Amino acid sequence: MTNKSASIWLVVVMFIFSIYFLLPFYWILVSVTKDNGQLNTTFGLWFAYPWHLLDNFHEVFTRNGGIFWRWLGNSFLYSTTAATLATLFAAMAGFAFSKYTFFGRSFLFTLILGTIMIPATALAFPIFLLIQNVGLANTIWAVILPQTVSPFGLYLMRMFWDQSFPNELMEAAKLDGANDATVFWRLGVPLIQGGLVTVFLFTFVAVWNNFFLPLIVLGNNNLFPLPLGLAGWAATQTGSTPPYSAIILGALIGILPLVLSLLFLGRYWQAGLTVGATKG
Amino acid sequence: MVTFTVFFVAPVLYAIYLSLFIPQQVNGNLTQVFGGLQNYEWALQDNQFLKSFIHIFFFGIIQIPIMLLLATILALILDQMVDGFLKRFFRTAFYLPYTIPSVISGLLWGYLYSLNLSPLNYIIQQNGGQPINFLASTPMTLFVIGNIVTWTWVGYNMVVLFASLQGVPRELYDAAKVDGATGWNVIRYIKLPLLRPALFLTLLFSIIGTSQIFAEPFALRSIGFVPNDITPNAYLYAVGAQNGNYSYAAALALVLAAVTFIFSSFFLRIIARNSNDQ
Amino acid sequence: MNRKFLKATMLGTTAILSASLAQDNFREPQYRDVQGNVTLEVWSWVPGLDKTAAEFTKQFPNIKINVVNLGGGAQTYNRLQTACRAGSGAPDVAQIEYGFLPTYIETNCLVDLRTLGASNLRSYFVPWTWRQVSPRNQEVYGIPQDTGPLAMIYRADIFKRYNIPVPRTWDEFARAGARLSELSKGQVKIGNFFSTYSPWFIALVWAQGGQMWRQNADGSWVQTLNNPTSKAVAKFWGDLIKAGYVSTFPAFTPDFWNPMAAGRIATSMEAAWGPGSFAGSLAQNPGQGAQYRVANLPQRTLGSFASGNWGGSSNVITRQSKNPQAAMLFINWLNTSRTGIVSDWNNGGLFPAAQAGLSLPELRNPDVNPSKFFGGQDVITVYQRASQAVNVDFTWAPWLPAADAVFADVMAQAIQGRITFEQAIDQWQERTLAEARRNGYKVTGGQ
Repeated sequence: MTNKSASIWLVVVMFIFSIYFLLPFYWILVSVTKDNGQLNTTFGLWFAYPWHLLDNFHEVFTRNGGIFWRWLGNSFLYSTTAATLATLFAAMAGFAFSKYTFFGRSFLFTLILGTIMIPATALAFPIFLLIQNVGLANTIWAVILPQTVSPFGLYLMRMFWDQSFPNELMEAAKLDGANDATVFWRLGVPLIQGGLVTVFLFTFVAVWNNFFLPLIVLGNNNLFPLPLGLAGWAATQTGSTPPYSAIILGALIGILPLVLSLLFLGRYWQAGLTVGATKG
Repeated sequence: MVTFTVFFVAPVLYAIYLSLFIPQQVNGNLTQVFGGLQNYEWALQDNQFLKSFIHIFFFGIIQIPIMLLLATILALILDQMVDGFLKRFFRTAFYLPYTIPSVISGLLWGYLYSLNLSPLNYIIQQNGGQPINFLASTPMTLFVIGNIVTWTWVGYNMVVLFASLQGVPRELYDAAKVDGATGWNVIRYIKLPLLRPALFLTLLFSIIGTSQIFAEPFALRSIGFVPNDITPNAYLYAVGAQNGNYSYAAALALVLAAVTFIFSSFFLRIIARNSNDQ
Repeated sequence: MNRKFLKATMLGTTAILSASLAQDNFREPQYRDVQGNVTLEVWSWVPGLDKTAAEFTKQFPNIKINVVNLGGGAQTYNRLQTACRAGSGAPDVAQIEYGFLPTYIETNCLVDLRTLGASNLRSYFVPWTWRQVSPRNQEVYGIPQDTGPLAMIYRADIFKRYNIPVPRTWDEFARAGARLSELSKGQVKIGNFFSTYSPWFIALVWAQGGQMWRQNADGSWVQTLNNPTSKAVAKFWGDLIKAGYVSTFPAFTPDFWNPMAAGRIATSMEAAWGPGSFAGSLAQNPGQGAQYRVANLPQRTLGSFASGNWGGSSNVITRQSKNPQAAMLFINWLNTSRTGIVSDWNNGGLFPAAQAGLSLPELRNPDVNPSKFFGGQDVITVYQRASQAVNVDFTWAPWLPAADAVFADVMAQAIQGRITFEQAIDQWQERTLAEARRNGYKVTGGQ
């Protein structure tokens, strides 16, 4: 299709871009071996001696009474719970939209898609005040509940139902006397497993990365998800410099789970994107 | 449906209710009193709020095209490549930044941009130059944020576009080849039109994402001064958290939501019309 | 001097007489422990407070202290403000600078400490700090922790190297700036302008007699951020910045500490907690051959002597605290006990608000920080002089957070050269006025 030298050039271009995308990661790997003094005085893209990697590990794991583990645990708890609930809700609602005809169906679906266009952060303060009114402010539910709704997840789920679960199958099951719940759990869920994983992954990442909502609804240090906690460490201090090396190492540990999931569950990530893109 | 109502419709209604009140000093104490549309009147006269929109508007019309152009080019190149290690490597490398929480990428890039931790400034200083202060002015700060956002999202958008290219039946290309189409023509007349729906989607999400930028400027505060009016969301946070004026914050949030909604629908309509014409 | 104070002083005197073996006149109140096991959450950015808290727990093992550092100033205030409005999520104890106290009094967030016996503690503190925590002279909203009279930290080695005398007046300061710039080919700045911290600027204006706010009897306010002194101070620094003699690195970031360590900044106007902050932040990278010293704040003229106050904090108890008694015990101990005061000085460089604390010999120990970092200089005596020269009658408005944010913004524009520094001050006044009104306050501009 293209001649040889052109394709070599393309690969070179790709390499240059890879450097842009990977350089910060390389910088992270270098920086976690330095202490604050070395970070300030030595070249950022090369190692300095002596190494302080172990000191930094020690600092990350023991600072503020070892709260790092708690933050990491919180991140997992929020992301897993919210993503599970969101996937379940999206699957059920998607099922309803895909398999039933009811009054105002297309209007409702358009409305929900429309809400994708409302910046979620714009609602953060009202959500916060509502949550406070029901007495849930500064609890784990304040972070989890608002994120169990994912319009985009619902949209994806409807696509998956449309594609993977033929209407004929539904009708056949109904004739056999199966009720809706049985159809959904016994027949439907196994067929759309791939879709479930995809929606789960997407909401998991969204919750994991969300910063604004926890910032507003949480006050208690012990409830912070990891990004919020690290941002707290990085905040400017009056009497001591922030523990830069510990923050960078903490960030590295914090991004590992998602990086690993990307490497091992790559095909599910792509599945969601394909569905979303071709039907968009 | 119920959860949807509770967490999407209720906050909107509550925000509308809230935005109709204003704080007032009554006998020395602050009290919430009914203010009608006063908050909205203030919002339209609020220079900082308007400025935050101007910032994000210019940010958007520069950053989004660059990001999507890059993503498209990279997706096209990736699509040309033969399957194998290199292809997987590039795809993963470009996609990697997307998995990083925005506040963390903001922090890390912040250090890469700071006067002292930045390797670039280190080289400049070693050669006797003055270090660059990347947060010296609002346009520069926006540039810094633009780079962070681009770095994070190019890969994501590229994978979306790449995925839709993969969905194209290979026979189409073979047919084109038989007709004597060159590489460029294949791209111009087959691939780009096929990318259109995916580009819609990425554009839509980019517009919405741009209107929501918050974590990056927040994180950059740890290395220097970032004004409150850098983005609408940052200003919103200041009004709510710093001044404790939730009713005004609610009014601003509704205005922001409305503007974003109108903007993205407007864009979608234009693009949809153009594509129908062809 | 009121009667209560007199009585307390007499009591104090009796205590000294009876303690014939004591080497100094330090006295502590009686601390009464509370029942049961308690964990207190404390929001504070005082460096090393966790160490001081550990000392406390050693003495009162049933009370554990969980120190949370959310970052200095606005970063903590924004969170506290949100938690207060939310009605949950606030800590038991928080650190609040005097200037920001009215904001939280206004939102009804703080416990009136009179209900916990605070009235008896009045006599332990420097009188003006007590007025700051009890602005209406009735309710007591906090226990004074430290104060921040301004002095000048300087690099003795730089002045020596360039053979320039350490400035005593602002004129000398400006001249030294020009000379330093000339001799170092613009590499060394005479000082740094903290454009993101309005309380720093306000303290400089305060030192020269300028007032920013006053409240009328009917509760309405007058704001005069653009008073003539304020404009003059802004112009003075603005001219030096434009001439390239003064840098504008953001305070408390490595971008400020590194040039300081590298010898590119010769002085910094710092509050009494500044030396501790220097000792802590520059510990890993102090700079080669750097000699840090403290001198009086430059004055208008030789022979005059005045200073202003930057920061200085109180410890408050929020209404959400479930253990106000234990919280009271902690903040009382923290700020009146010998162990607490000495530990806060050594770990955080806190200049105590407690009267007796100021004369403690431990605070003059040249072998521990912050004095050690300053070549063994008796840092605290310099600040004690400054403290006596602070005009203690100063009023803060509850919208200081808004004023603070606007200040940073207008100063950034002035530094970029888009407006003059005097215009910046006018905009500061106008924009803050608009925000205060929008947030519900009856406030007028004035001179």
